[in-house]
Amino acid sequence: MATTLYRISIFILAICASACMKWEYGLEEDFELSNSERGLFICNEGNFQYGNATLSYYDPETKTIQNEIFYRANAMKLGDVAQSMIIRNGVGWVIVNNSHVVFAIDINTFKELGRITNLTSPRYMHFISDEKAYVTQIWDNRIFIVNPKRYEITGYIDIPNMTMESGSTEQMVQYGKYLYVNCWSYQNRILKIDTETDQVVDELIVGIQPTSLVMDCNNKLWTVTDGGYEGSPYGHEAPSLYRIDAETFTIEQQFKFKFGDWPSEVQLNGTRDKIYWLNDDVWEMDVTADHIPVRPFLEYNDTLYYGLTIDPDSGDVYIADAIDYVQQGKVYRYSSERELIDEFYVGIIPGAFCWK
Amino acid sequence: MRRVFVILSLLFATLTASAQDRRIDIEGVTVTGNRPIKDIGVQQTKIDSVSLKENIALSMADVLTFNSPIFVKNYGRATLSTVSFRGTSPSHTQVTWNGMRINNPMLGMTDFSMIPSHFIDNATLLHGTSSVNSTGGGLGGAVQLATRPAEEEGFKLQYVQGVGSFLTFDEYLQLNYGRRGWQAATRVSYSSSPNEYKYINRDKKENIYDEDMNIIDQYYPEEINRSGSYKDLHILQEVYYKNNSGDRFGLNVWYINSNRELAMLTTDYADDTDFDNRQREQTVRSVLSWDHLRSNWKSSARAGYIYTWMAYDYQRAVSEDIMAVMSRSRSQINTIYGEANGEYSLGRKWLFTASLSAHQHFVLSKDKNIILQDGGKGIVGYDQARIELSGSVSAKWRPTDRFGVSAVLREELFGKTWTPLIPALFIDYVISKTGNVILKASGSRNYRFPTLNDLYFLPGGNPDLRHESGWSYDAGVSFEVGSEGKYKLNGSATWFDSYINDWIIWLPTTKGFFSPENVKDVHAYGVEVDGHLSVNLAKDWLLNMDATFSWTPSINHGEKRSPADQSIGKQLPYIPKLSSTVSGRLTWREWSFVYNWCFYSERYTMSSNDISLTGKLPKYYMSNISLGYNLALRWADFNLKGTINNLFDEEYLSVLSRPMPGINFEIFIGITPKW
Repeated sequence: MATTLYRISIFILAICASACMKWEYGLEEDFELSNSERGLFICNEGNFQYGNATLSYYDPETKTIQNEIFYRANAMKLGDVAQSMIIRNGVGWVIVNNSHVVFAIDINTFKELGRITNLTSPRYMHFISDEKAYVTQIWDNRIFIVNPKRYEITGYIDIPNMTMESGSTEQMVQYGKYLYVNCWSYQNRILKIDTETDQVVDELIVGIQPTSLVMDCNNKLWTVTDGGYEGSPYGHEAPSLYRIDAETFTIEQQFKFKFGDWPSEVQLNGTRDKIYWLNDDVWEMDVTADHIPVRPFLEYNDTLYYGLTIDPDSGDVYIADAIDYVQQGKVYRYSSERELIDEFYVGIIPGAFCWK
Repeated sequence: MRRVFVILSLLFATLTASAQDRRIDIEGVTVTGNRPIKDIGVQQTKIDSVSLKENIALSMADVLTFNSPIFVKNYGRATLSTVSFRGTSPSHTQVTWNGMRINNPMLGMTDFSMIPSHFIDNATLLHGTSSVNSTGGGLGGAVQLATRPAEEEGFKLQYVQGVGSFLTFDEYLQLNYGRRGWQAATRVSYSSSPNEYKYINRDKKENIYDEDMNIIDQYYPEEINRSGSYKDLHILQEVYYKNNSGDRFGLNVWYINSNRELAMLTTDYADDTDFDNRQREQTVRSVLSWDHLRSNWKSSARAGYIYTWMAYDYQRAVSEDIMAVMSRSRSQINTIYGEANGEYSLGRKWLFTASLSAHQHFVLSKDKNIILQDGGKGIVGYDQARIELSGSVSAKWRPTDRFGVSAVLREELFGKTWTPLIPALFIDYVISKTGNVILKASGSRNYRFPTLNDLYFLPGGNPDLRHESGWSYDAGVSFEVGSEGKYKLNGSATWFDSYINDWIIWLPTTKGFFSPENVKDVHAYGVEVDGHLSVNLAKDWLLNMDATFSWTPSINHGEKRSPADQSIGKQLPYIPKLSSTVSGRLTWREWSFVYNWCFYSERYTMSSNDISLTGKLPKYYMSNISLGYNLALRWADFNLKGTINNLFDEEYLSVLSRPMPGINFEIFIGITPKW
């Protein structure tokens, strides 16, 4: 019996010796940028449901990239699907869609300052004042009103003719006291909201699924539709680029694309007199043009463009390539003369940019 | 650790204090000349019934994790569990239940967490090429699950009650009746738990603010697994009849009613009381079978039907008493199945087989309710049907006791598209009768068709997808030695090599939805080793040990998606290169002690194999133990068992942002009355 027990004990001990693991987690890293330093934040969406969104920071002067800055500065994850980011008064607001959260960070140290939680599925944020901001949502028929100082949800703007299930409000631009919002998923509208009453006061029907919204130097709104998709009960049509007069809230001009095109990501340059968008290639157009250019600004080069931004100071064009969506994406930086200036890897699915 | 050793000491103290006399037998080794001609060259793993019946709380996902070289990817406790067989994706493993394929025709994969192991009597893994003997499409392999009659006379009842950590309750009832060729069995299992296990959330920090909303402190919170409750009901009814003319009839009906919340990610900042994210499923699987056995031929026919209703609801509170629907999807699958098989032996040297099976699927998928442009209501979804035919013929020849060769030809039809002919060749050769050393080798072509979601899902379904195709080869050597009543040792080592082209992957589009594409060419290769030992350590002491080891590089050799693509030549994400299991069972008289251990090497989360701070899935070891005791009274037999899962309280992840439970316990009490 003693021999048997000895053998058993050896057996058990051998298995126990198979190393217990201890979880390794990060230390906080100190960053200290100067207030005057210009830079570019890149929101890397990460993979939906995997919680691997990240934030990158690029210094255009030194051409250096810092990845995973949120994690490195805070020793915690950014979350699931980093959708967008805006900066106001030295505070960066990172909207993390499927984590139901908006993080406030110091844009020089990347440290968290606070967070607004329990949002439905936040997409974009727009400040009305220091104490009032709107946060648009998908899968909700309300725009959330928040108090950024207290990190609180303070109210809602109900969107008419929209259910929770088909709810989709996206990007926002403000003209005077009115805010304009494009409604994207299974929608075809631009909303006009009175920021004093927090009520939708008007809407404008455009094409199927307007994806983005900007306002140029002439106070013209620009949106581009994606036209839906084949088999969609909502419809499938050729997408269009629209120029809308903000004052009269009417369509001034419609620029039609070919059926099957997938335009997206309308952006402005710093002087807001040129718009850019993606449609396989990168396109550039004067805001006063009466037709889409014949040739693109940058031709498609086996690169799957996913995000786009223009340096408001230099006019350099930054394009994000998501590659296969499960590896670090790459950002290409071109001069306004179409010369490749720099290229660098960021995080998974770089989709949105924000200039510091 | 100290606590663990205390527990172990107590276990052994209990063991030594309860000695009684009992004989333990070890089977003799298989004589090489008696190897079944049907299994020439086949690489298979049979999960032993003791592992399947270890305890009533186990699913097939748990059993495969600790008893096979298959990698099981768990999205949490009692949550979706998919498998990777020989470095392939979940849809590359074909799963049959009593002959009928049960892979979800919409998704292509099988959720093994939804299969209670107590409902399975035979489980066999057919590795790679060997799956062609059974079905097509198993680019990684096939898992054959089956029930069988108890072959007992009279009435028998067994009831087991389990109570465990996290308010987990498992109940299992089995009724058997057998008389004059008839066998009937009813099995019922019900498992439920709020599943609120605690863990330290390293992915987020809790903020402490001052009055001016400045953060004055942060810490990693101890959280519970939020919104992860489950209630799973399974009922299996079986009736068998066999006559004296060699006919056996069977009817198996399996009903599943599952209601599971989808647990929040570690990076979720929503209030779990405001959100309800839930998946429900009701499935009926039924198979009617007839087998006719003669001395030199065998024929069988099967007919089956599967009905599956699946619902996914995502809701949030918009006021104190109103939950508004954010997402509501419903899908219904009706599958009609038929199969005929025949086998004919020509002497002892030849066996010919033929098989034809049909699965007719009808799928109605309603994924989203929308408001149309004209203000009317619309539904985003699809309504499609597809016939899937699979036929095969084979000839198996064993001219001498030492050598056997088998050739299989299979042909498949999916919808209106035929596969090219699928050939497979198997050989085995006895290198040495001393030690029963056998060399096995096989090679085959194989194809897998896109699933119905791949083709038709809205938005994103791609009707232009090509089927995946692959070549697989393997070769291995096995041995078996032993001495009847003393010990038995067997094992095998197998090298495998497979190429899969046009691998289908769902990728995001610039339109904001995912769409499948034929993207990758994958070279999956490696080595599988397994060993089994049964030994009588001393009088009344029996030790059974099973071990597996796998080395499975699965390399992307496709074309670059863009000039910046860094994934070529790299291991596929979420597939470990190394994995291993050890399962030890020590029995002494009425006592049994089981130690299950597994290891998975680090898995990449990026196709480029970069390891980032936010994308790490470190290697992990997992250990479970259990101690059981059979108590025989005059009026009933009792079985008492206690289990400890995650013995060393490891913090580990199988999938990013999905917390796994630490050390947890469950006790089981089983009663079998003697009528």
